[in-house]
Amino acid sequence: MSEERDRVQAILTEFQNEFAPYASLSLDGASLDNVESKLREVAELKVRHTGKKSPISGAMNLVGKVAPDERAGFGQFVQSAQKEIASKIDAVEKTLNEVIINAKIESERLDVTLPGRRPRTGHLHPITILRQKIEDIFVSMGYAIEDDREIETDHYNFDALNIPEGHPARESQDTFYTTQGFALRSQTSTVQIRAMERRGVPIRIIAPGKVFRRDTPDMTHVPMFHQIEGLCVDKGITMAHLKGTVTEWLKRLFGEDTITRFRPSYFPFTEPSAEFDFSCFKCHGSGKFEGDRCRPCKGSGWIELGGSGMVHPNVLKAVGVDPTVYSGFAFGFGLERMTALMYSIDDIRHMFENDVRFLEQFK
Amino acid sequence: MNISYNWLKDLIDIEMSADEVAAQLTRVGLAVEGIHPHGDDFVLDIDLTSNRSDCLSHLGIARELQVINNSKLIINNYDAPSPGDPNLVNILDANLCNRFTARIIRNVKIGPSPQWLVNRLEAIGERSINNVADITNYVMHELGQPMHSFDLDKLSGGRIVVRKATPGEKITTLDEVDRVLDETMLAICDAEKPVAIGGVMGGLDSSITDSTVSVLLEVAYFKRENIRATSRTLGLGTEASYRFERGVDIENLITASNRATELICELAGGKADDFVDVYPNKFVANQVASADISASVKRLTGLSFETGECVRILTALGITASDDRKTFSSPTWRHDIAIEEDLVEEVARHAGYENIANELPPAYGAGEYQKTEPRKKRLRENLADMGFDEAITYSFIDTRQDGVFENIPGLLNEKLEDKYITLQDSVIDGALRMRPSILPGLLDAVRLNLNFQRRDLKLFEIGKVFAAQTGEYELPNEREILTLVVIGGEISEGKAVTVRELDLYDAKGALEAALEAVGVSNADFTAAEAKHLRKGQTAAVLVEGSRVGYIGRLSDDIAAGYKFKQPVYVAEVDLQAILDMESTPIAYRPLSKYPAVTRDVSLLGDRNISFAATRQAVTEQNFELCRNVSFVDVYEGKGLQDNERSITIRLEYRSDERTLIEDEVEALHKQILSHLEQKLAIKPRF
Ligand SMILES: [Zn+2]
Repeated sequence: MSEERDRVQAILTEFQNEFAPYASLSLDGASLDNVESKLREVAELKVRHTGKKSPISGAMNLVGKVAPDERAGFGQFVQSAQKEIASKIDAVEKTLNEVIINAKIESERLDVTLPGRRPRTGHLHPITILRQKIEDIFVSMGYAIEDDREIETDHYNFDALNIPEGHPARESQDTFYTTQGFALRSQTSTVQIRAMERRGVPIRIIAPGKVFRRDTPDMTHVPMFHQIEGLCVDKGITMAHLKGTVTEWLKRLFGEDTITRFRPSYFPFTEPSAEFDFSCFKCHGSGKFEGDRCRPCKGSGWIELGGSGMVHPNVLKAVGVDPTVYSGFAFGFGLERMTALMYSIDDIRHMFENDVRFLEQFK
Repeated sequence: MNISYNWLKDLIDIEMSADEVAAQLTRVGLAVEGIHPHGDDFVLDIDLTSNRSDCLSHLGIARELQVINNSKLIINNYDAPSPGDPNLVNILDANLCNRFTARIIRNVKIGPSPQWLVNRLEAIGERSINNVADITNYVMHELGQPMHSFDLDKLSGGRIVVRKATPGEKITTLDEVDRVLDETMLAICDAEKPVAIGGVMGGLDSSITDSTVSVLLEVAYFKRENIRATSRTLGLGTEASYRFERGVDIENLITASNRATELICELAGGKADDFVDVYPNKFVANQVASADISASVKRLTGLSFETGECVRILTALGITASDDRKTFSSPTWRHDIAIEEDLVEEVARHAGYENIANELPPAYGAGEYQKTEPRKKRLRENLADMGFDEAITYSFIDTRQDGVFENIPGLLNEKLEDKYITLQDSVIDGALRMRPSILPGLLDAVRLNLNFQRRDLKLFEIGKVFAAQTGEYELPNEREILTLVVIGGEISEGKAVTVRELDLYDAKGALEAALEAVGVSNADFTAAEAKHLRKGQTAAVLVEGSRVGYIGRLSDDIAAGYKFKQPVYVAEVDLQAILDMESTPIAYRPLSKYPAVTRDVSLLGDRNISFAATRQAVTEQNFELCRNVSFVDVYEGKGLQDNERSITIRLEYRSDERTLIEDEVEALHKQILSHLEQKLAIKPRF
């Protein structure tokens, strides 16, 4: 039996000799090609030393030549030799494969900080963004959005709004006229009249739109701008409802801590009339921001926003509504001014220059 | 308007500081915009609303403080002087001149004013001239009544006739301008000629000079509307006309005249002589009915105020109540108290708007957007997602743009002599035309951006354009349109260089997507011509068979005018017409169980045979199994003749009932190709 054992030992020794260069492989700095060729050599080695025709597989045939009581021991000896060969080769193959995979991963590593591939996104005009926000608020409060003509008759721009001929507001030369004698609407209050004629009362509407005034453009004036007009007419509407409604939408736009202030004023289409201010969205009414005088409110803590009041009985009469039965409130304000305040835009003319450097800031 | 705090204290007994006065005045609606120190005085800058002409003086402001502070006015109410020669003043038009007083003051010595008077005027921003002129100015700012002093010796006949001017009558006013009057204007005349334009400005020839010794002091009341009209016609606004057209106190004329006379006698050594007051029809103040003022205050403001408290505030303001407290009489200095709501405002503003509650109106129905708004919102968002920035340009454009651009179909009425809407005047040079197109505005925006080195742009605007209607008195046509402009290269977010140059198909793709966003997925584009677009690169846009606008490359002429060196692609469509159309309903088709067979074929032919014509030549054969014709590519250039191109299309064959066999597809494909060759002379290139 020792002869057979010697045979197996010789096969093992031969393998170990052949395997020696791979047993202590140094792969530091080896090129991928080099590693891959080593892997191929090991694969060949594997075929020669583990395949069915390999010497160690042949050694199993020697079992028959061993004494019967020693056959089990010899068999185990051959199997352990087989295992040793296979595991040594597998270990080297595994190492080589890992080196190859790691090298590939390294060579295909990406810079994840490069910009994502996407077409440039455009931007809505800040006036559109603010208008949509305010419309959303009022629709949720039960108001319908309305708009109408931009070129109007004097009837809609003035007479029906209780601004008769000879009234200072009409003669102020603020209004653009066409050569045919039509007026470019100087306030969206015209929509009050058009909407009440169409819908009758009760009514709750918001009318956003363009208006025109004969102001030469400068940092704080433009001859065309956008207004939002609100109108609520029903039985039992009071100035308390005006105050509550204006306060509510400003809270929804600027936050729950917003408060409002109403000051007596004069507008031909409302009586009583009021101007309304709200607590500054930036300094929350303190007048100071980060230790300095707050910019939007000029340190007063208040932002003057618009005009309002109880709809003048003559306006209701102009659309056939009985002012002894119905009452209502109206309010209006300018979107450009509000936008300019919200973003500290120093020159209101930027709103209509359409400089992309301006537009793309409103995301 | 400037109000001196010290001067106020001459008129009313108050112990409030200037700051407190300012806060209280603002609270009741007389907005104090600023407080400026002036020596030992403070000047309040008050922004008055146009209805409060009664507050255009220290007296008016003092009256408001009287209500706020419950204190008394300290002013002299002078008795009427004994009447003098009635022939001194003759009013021929009592409609335009409701009251006229004249006072003769003799032995006047014109000279500088004393320092206290100079200081007072200086505090409120007025310049000292001479003692008599300063006094009339001073009394106006104190009592609100404008007045005018004549040199009596320069008045022909030494008397005054108040009448309408005759057409063409001339006068040289104090500002040394020759003015021509007309028959709508009121002239203050001497025995011969106009010596002042009533309520507006005095004449130069009859004015006070250093040598004047006798003064005729005019203190009068004129019809408000007429003063406004005269002032506007002449383009001449003065402190006097400003007050007269808003309304002064007709019952305060004598007091004002006496106050001025007193000061002239005191400061210019004059001696008061004859006084005449011509007041043909006594002014009747507004009587305002209010059945229950307390209930009306409650109804309009929600404030609970007893009738007694309402009447107290009104009375303090000079608005007197009848015994039954159902009729209220406006004071003669208030021209803005006409209806019950005006009384409510007076009570509410002194009660304090801050005391009105904050309440929401009772719940009502659901709110709603405008019918087209959801689709317009999608349109805007869609365009923004495709890289377009939203522009808003002015609605008025330069008349030089007339006829340069083809407008949306049907906007202009070509039969009209005047197709456009034009402004009488503008505040921007040349911008007299209400735009019939948004393109001029957007191209200006492109120019501005190019000036700031932004060469890759996609802009859009949604807005109205304007055109005249048939009838002269018909309101103009207003239509909402959509305009796109595309120039430069495709920008990738975060990348410094553009990906590729944009071309017509980028503009077209954006427009198609925009139309789809508003519910139109079947727009057609046909080769067309439009005067602002380059020939051969222009398409008409059709929806449901009707033309809604144009898309194409801006013509070289127009581009050169803007100094555009890159091609500019533009589109303008009638958005309103598109939104008015029914959106295409979704027609669902069951999914086929059988596979489709596709064949790509490159067809060589004349380069003017369009893809649409090619597709049409396939679909018109109505082969049920040929399901789709789609575009793959075009090739022109090397290997082809100049007038040739090769267009590759993909044909899709499919049955809903079975899997097609190769031979059947091949036979059909051949049949289709031979039809294309017969009809369009295009045949497979390979
Ligand atoms: Zn602030």
